[in-house]
Amino acid sequence: MTMQALSGLKVVEWCEFISGPYCGKLLADLGAEVIKIERPGLGDKARSHGPFPQDIPHPEKSGTFLYLNTNKLGVTLNVRSTTGAEIFKQLVKQADILVENNPPREVEELGFNYESLKKLNPRLVMTSITPFGQTGPYRDYKSCDLISFHVSGMAYINPSCGVDDIEQKPPLRGSENQSGLVAGLSGAIATMSAIFASHATGLGQHVDISEQEALANVMRITLGTYALEDVAWTRYRPVPLSEIYHCNDGLVYMVLDQDKTWLSWVEAMGNPEWAMSELFQDQVSRRENRDAGKMLIEEWTKEHTVDEVVRAAEARRIPCKAVNTVKESFSSELLADRGYFVEVDHTAAGKFQYPGAPCKLSLTPWRVERPAPLLGQHNEDVFCGRLGYTRQDLVTMRAQGAI
Amino acid sequence: MQKLPLEGIRITDFCHVWAGPHVTQWLAVMGAEVIKIESNLHPDLTRSFFAGDKTLTPGLNQSVDFAVLNYGKKCCTINMTLPKGRELAKEIMRVSDIVTENFGGAVMDRWGLGYSDLQKLKPDIIMYSGSGFGRTGPYKELPAYAPIVDAFAGLFSLNGCLGSEPCPFGVGGWTDLVAAQHGAFAILAALHHRSNTGEGQYIDLSMTEVASSFLPDAIMDYTMNDRVQGAQGNRDNAMAPHGCYRCQGDDEWIAIAVSSDEEWKAFCDAIGNPEWTTDERFRDGLNRWKNQEELDRLIQEWTKTYSHHEAMEILQRAGVMAGPSLKAEEVVQDSHLREREFFIDIEHPEMGTVRLARLPWKLSDSPQGNYNHAPSLGEHNDYVFKELLNMSDEKIAQLQEEQVIL
Repeated sequence: MTMQALSGLKVVEWCEFISGPYCGKLLADLGAEVIKIERPGLGDKARSHGPFPQDIPHPEKSGTFLYLNTNKLGVTLNVRSTTGAEIFKQLVKQADILVENNPPREVEELGFNYESLKKLNPRLVMTSITPFGQTGPYRDYKSCDLISFHVSGMAYINPSCGVDDIEQKPPLRGSENQSGLVAGLSGAIATMSAIFASHATGLGQHVDISEQEALANVMRITLGTYALEDVAWTRYRPVPLSEIYHCNDGLVYMVLDQDKTWLSWVEAMGNPEWAMSELFQDQVSRRENRDAGKMLIEEWTKEHTVDEVVRAAEARRIPCKAVNTVKESFSSELLADRGYFVEVDHTAAGKFQYPGAPCKLSLTPWRVERPAPLLGQHNEDVFCGRLGYTRQDLVTMRAQGAI
Repeated sequence: MQKLPLEGIRITDFCHVWAGPHVTQWLAVMGAEVIKIESNLHPDLTRSFFAGDKTLTPGLNQSVDFAVLNYGKKCCTINMTLPKGRELAKEIMRVSDIVTENFGGAVMDRWGLGYSDLQKLKPDIIMYSGSGFGRTGPYKELPAYAPIVDAFAGLFSLNGCLGSEPCPFGVGGWTDLVAAQHGAFAILAALHHRSNTGEGQYIDLSMTEVASSFLPDAIMDYTMNDRVQGAQGNRDNAMAPHGCYRCQGDDEWIAIAVSSDEEWKAFCDAIGNPEWTTDERFRDGLNRWKNQEELDRLIQEWTKTYSHHEAMEILQRAGVMAGPSLKAEEVVQDSHLREREFFIDIEHPEMGTVRLARLPWKLSDSPQGNYNHAPSLGEHNDYVFKELLNMSDEKIAQLQEEQVIL
């Protein structure tokens, strides 16, 4: 088997739902060995989350779980039982990395905080991903994707096209689970950086990822613009001159924020008289008369198909594409040509197409070696094969509720 | 003083605007030496982005946009339109570990600086190419604009309030910076592989593919059920109440989510058990979810009487998930982020003291990070040409004369 980029790295993942598992997935998909710990019985709560084939809930068929947990080994472990805790510590002792996304107070109460675990394994990199991080006044506050999105400032600037009535249209979360995905991604970068640091020192360290910070980082330009230029984009003061336009069979998004592209587009529309008006003579006036401009452009686009509008724009190097649903992007020539979607066959869920590699590495490509694990699928491999327990031990531990 | 994790790694960086520079921003903060190649002929476009009063015509070293994405890096000026400029750039690449770029098309190939060319220079080089649609495929020559990518990938169709038309998302380059982080991670993975095997490789990142990777729920629902999801705004598939509620102050709101019967009870207690909470329509989780429009209206009667911070404190004390919907100025002043020193003061030679967001990178035993100010154009010409490349003053003068160093 050819080597993968992260072959040889051993990860224990004590996480559920989105953020921690996405971090674990990024590592696993590039070849790290990731042992995912789930609580016996219900397992990772993503298993209850859906989407489910034909809307029939089943713990082995949740689309979100299946996607987020490719390439991982799965074990059940009740870390709150004494035997479970013992096994947890043995796993951590053998690992390079521990990824966890549990409330900090619970981690401390269980005795699994970094200060304790580093005594067991000085080279351990422990990555903790939580809504507000390991320190600060909100450390123990309860949170979820909705809360993270709003406290980062991201919701206040959404949607970027603006709304008519700010009383009726509150700040808006984006599509589901972005908070956890971004936090997991930031965690993966930081985890690898700590691995690099350990090459020099032989020692691990604690990586502290806050979802609030991970999201605020992504809007760093908006924050900088406010802090230093006193200009704040909000959902009632939108970014100018980038719009969705209605065509006769769908929607397009086009960026006309430069004189060059504006003039080019006016020409594409056959130089309509209205475009010569001083209302649209430069960037400033076009911004002021945005609503009128949009309406007038749509008089033209509504006479044409999405395809025609996109082609006319791209022929003039004007940024423009269809506003797709996932169905249309899934069926697009682009993503098919790039081989982006991959088929994964799962014993329980069956064969489905999944989102594939977020980027292409030439020598050590992303791939799915194994689908997401069934609950406890690798208990024997891991507990017996690596830790030396016997099958009979597992039977006893299961009856005791430890695994 | 401990070293930063990437000390000793050198990067020749052609990245510009947003999606590229955030990649090398991560690497620079974590200790890599990032040498941006710009020129007075073609400075990074971001140097002329200004949100404020454009009649002030600030200089090329005074852009907030640029400062926010390029701290920690060095900059030298080379005129890449000239063959001699490319030869000069090659000398820097020869002593670099990584080359990064995000041109709108195969510019590096056309310059004779594509991956196979660079491998001849340095066999274990790692090259990163970021783009909107990939360096292969039908759109490989198209420039990237994050919102265009988002529209294409389906992100807009999932953004908006429940049942609305698609809405544009993410002022300030959401997918640009998310893609950049995937890029940084891939580069670190490639570096890890190189440290084990001595092999470099080529990384081809398409923002469209990154954007799709962030839509698992919607994509799996389509591939499993042929169903096309739409926007649901502040709502959730299971939780109710789950939304954003008006508070006392000017355009002030609080986000609240209740995910269990226990949390519902805690919520009712926290708001003083008003009579409506015992209404039949709200008697259990499923009914609360079905009647959430009315539920939301009633909850807002309560939240309207408090500021968003007050409401958060009351609810969190009771163990209910709640948080204020912060404006940019509130994020900058947020007491939790201040305690965590998320905003740092950076001394900049032309802009003075600038308070900028650090990266969400916090390691217990490594130094805080390299937060040196974003470089002025050509600020490190002396360092790069004299020290790094060991060129004589005469040679440098000649290259300046020939407009190679420009």
